[in-house]
Amino acid sequence: MKIISKQDFQAFVNALIQDDTLDVQGVKAKGEKFVFGPIDSATELRLDYDVTILPPKKYFLPQYETMMVFDIATGTARTPALDKKKVIVGVHPYDLVAIQQMDKYFLDTNVDDVYLAKRKNSLLIGMTPMKASETAFYGDLMKDAGQPDLHFDLMLTDLGDSYAVLPGTPDGAQLLARAVTRDAHPQDVEATKAAQKEAMGKAIRGLKVGPKGWHSLLTTNYESNVWKEQAEKCLACGSCTLVCPTCFCYDVNDEVGLDLNSGVRTRTWDGCLLRDFTKVAPGEIFREDIVERYRHRINRKGKYLPDALGFVACVGCGRCSSACIPDIADPLNLINKLAESTMDTIPDADVSHVPEISDLDIIASDSLYIPRTATIRRMMKLTEKETFFEIGLDDGQPLGHQPGQFVEVSIFGVGEAPISVSSPPGGNTFQLVVRNVGDLTNKLHSLSEGDKIGIRGPFGTGFDTAAMKGKNLLFIGGGLGIVPMRSLIKYVVNNRQHYGKVMILYGCRDPTELLFKDEIAQWENMEDVEMHKTVDTCAEGETWNGQIGVITTIMPLVTFDPLNTYAIVVGPPIMYRFVNRDLLNMGMPPENIIVSLERRMKCGVGKCGHCQINGVYVCKEGPVFNYKDIIDQPEAFS
Amino acid sequence: MSEKPRVAFFDFASCEGCQLQVVNLEEALLDVLALVDIVSFREAMKEHSDDYDIAIIEGSITRPIDVERIKKIREQASILITIGACAHLGGVQRLGNQWTPEENKAEVYERHPGSEITKGDDNPFFAQPRHRAVSEVVKVDATIPGCPIDSQEFAKVLIALLTGKKLPIPDYPVCVECKKNENICVFELGGFCMGPVARAGCGAPCPTHGGECEACRGYVDHPHTQAHAEVLKKYGLSPDEIMTKRTMYNYRDHEDKEEGSQ
Repeated sequence: MKIISKQDFQAFVNALIQDDTLDVQGVKAKGEKFVFGPIDSATELRLDYDVTILPPKKYFLPQYETMMVFDIATGTARTPALDKKKVIVGVHPYDLVAIQQMDKYFLDTNVDDVYLAKRKNSLLIGMTPMKASETAFYGDLMKDAGQPDLHFDLMLTDLGDSYAVLPGTPDGAQLLARAVTRDAHPQDVEATKAAQKEAMGKAIRGLKVGPKGWHSLLTTNYESNVWKEQAEKCLACGSCTLVCPTCFCYDVNDEVGLDLNSGVRTRTWDGCLLRDFTKVAPGEIFREDIVERYRHRINRKGKYLPDALGFVACVGCGRCSSACIPDIADPLNLINKLAESTMDTIPDADVSHVPEISDLDIIASDSLYIPRTATIRRMMKLTEKETFFEIGLDDGQPLGHQPGQFVEVSIFGVGEAPISVSSPPGGNTFQLVVRNVGDLTNKLHSLSEGDKIGIRGPFGTGFDTAAMKGKNLLFIGGGLGIVPMRSLIKYVVNNRQHYGKVMILYGCRDPTELLFKDEIAQWENMEDVEMHKTVDTCAEGETWNGQIGVITTIMPLVTFDPLNTYAIVVGPPIMYRFVNRDLLNMGMPPENIIVSLERRMKCGVGKCGHCQINGVYVCKEGPVFNYKDIIDQPEAFS
Repeated sequence: MSEKPRVAFFDFASCEGCQLQVVNLEEALLDVLALVDIVSFREAMKEHSDDYDIAIIEGSITRPIDVERIKKIREQASILITIGACAHLGGVQRLGNQWTPEENKAEVYERHPGSEITKGDDNPFFAQPRHRAVSEVVKVDATIPGCPIDSQEFAKVLIALLTGKKLPIPDYPVCVECKKNENICVFELGGFCMGPVARAGCGAPCPTHGGECEACRGYVDHPHTQAHAEVLKKYGLSPDEIMTKRTMYNYRDHEDKEEGSQ
């Protein structure tokens, strides 16, 4: 530890500002409040601040960020060049913890190269808080965390007329070498420890259940009235999530210039409190009720992220409660309210809000977001709304997918959409069937054979073909559900000897919506495949050689041993409720039912947050699920 | 593009500030001209043509002759876009719908000295005016909200129309953009803000520059008006003041139900 006089510290900061290779950012005043912003002179710094309006996450995941710059005519994209290295002065420990969480979130799996580049291009100078805001409770949270390692390059503690400075990294030590300092005496070290302890003590507001107990508290209270009471006052304005240092959800948009050729793909802060957050192209909103959104925010913090990444995603900064005008966002209040209504003792989970420090020296192998160029080899209109596409990657590589996986189809200037792969694995091309429902799919329908598109993926978890070996297979597809299901049916038909009885039930609204007519006829003619099809309605004069009625009406047509059969169920949300109920009634155990679910899979790689079903990222853990694994997620089939 | 679409601007009851915002595109306006032919734009050119594909409308529909005129425009235009709060919502002038035309006429033209020159029933500019949004009279294909509109948003909407994309008008409240701008909340500064229920897309310029949001872009599709009213009450507004605050740009005279629903 070193000691630097306040005068020398000012000289040090001013020298950094003069350094043309650095961009010095720090805490400064904005009216009566504080913000992180560019610093022109050391005198502008306000290291006596309590909290900033926005957390420093804006440096690594900016409010509005260019992910790539594209050119429509050439179909090319590149990641934008980095700015100067940032030195961020005055980051409080709770925000350091939040950055540690962010590192884990963006770098643990599927390394986010856009994030990593910004993160590595910065130095963090921490600061022991001298004041705490009225709403802060990081002192409460720290009680469950013990003495965790915090990641900083330098850590400052105010000792009156000087700062104690602790280097946390070689980069920090190198930076500090530019300053005039002296070695710390034992009494300086003691004074620093005392100041740090005092700082934590100032942010204690009486949290009744620490982070270790949140998971269990939230599980017990999922249906509590507290959610409804609080949500009634909620404006659904999203402020709590926007100012939160541990809310990372984002939206992705393409913006095209007036030349209609050059443009940028951007990501902007989004929030789960906003109504459109879960909206998919056909219009369905999966968390339409404000209570569901209000509850999701806290559950993500106290339960879902602990499950997924092992940390509680709240750092006690208090920003959400100061930003919330109806005053219902405070996690401490909410946890205390839930604790009051819970009679049981809350068991502790082995979790805290401080994850271990991530290694920033990893190399991101490929861009997570820049798509590969591909060519439409074949197009065929299947129905009024659906078109079949056969696609080849321009690098000549096979897609390498499993049945049930999906790709993100990208068209620069329009955007991306998740589309299920409809062909079985193998071959140098793959097939998609796309319904024209949104901007991307609309544009896709206007393209021709030979046109270029972008592909990311394959993503997600597909069907477990190995587990199905030796079993009977009962396929139950509704509407577009046949599209992902076809990748498995064709795989099974090609490897017919490995499976028992194969039964296919397929239903759609009316005969005009029937997909893959020729293939269905083939399946119907196969000796070792039992195929039944049905339509909800059939207009007069229309030819139809199948059944009439909803899909559940043809389920009694097949007989099978429920214990030795896998049912693969894919269809619209409403279908699962009835089909799965009937399967369970027939004696089929939940673990023999396989479903594929649709949500808003915007990024495809578990980052943007839109596709979550409670704590489950559909884009990573799904879209194919074993019913047993998802049945307990209340949002899955609601 | 084979032939550039032909665009004509029309103004109804308004201050023409939204058309000025289009002119304010300055150099970018030249890029717009590479995409479309502007055949009628009173604020920027002398020429006029009635042969157009896209009609851009500013202003509220006020008098019977306006109704005739907008219907004619609708017949000619394959795409009709409204710009600004007057065309989108009826504008602040819609507040006049609270009183009868006679009361308004007396207030504006008769009760004050010097107004006698316009007195009389033969004044053609005062034929029973009722202020309405354009969409209440004819079908509208696209709306660019705001008082005034944002130049950049105008360009974005044009690009979206020309590239067949969904319009980039968000359905989240102004708070979202205000927070992104790292503003101190208007309520914390002692003001009263419509931001929590108002439709964003403007970039929250009013709160950012010391003002309050007046919801000039209308409300989000599902505003939490009840929760918002509670907040206004909590911060000290009387029911009358809440009503005044709400109705400045969003006066509803044609329906009894509460604007928006939870």
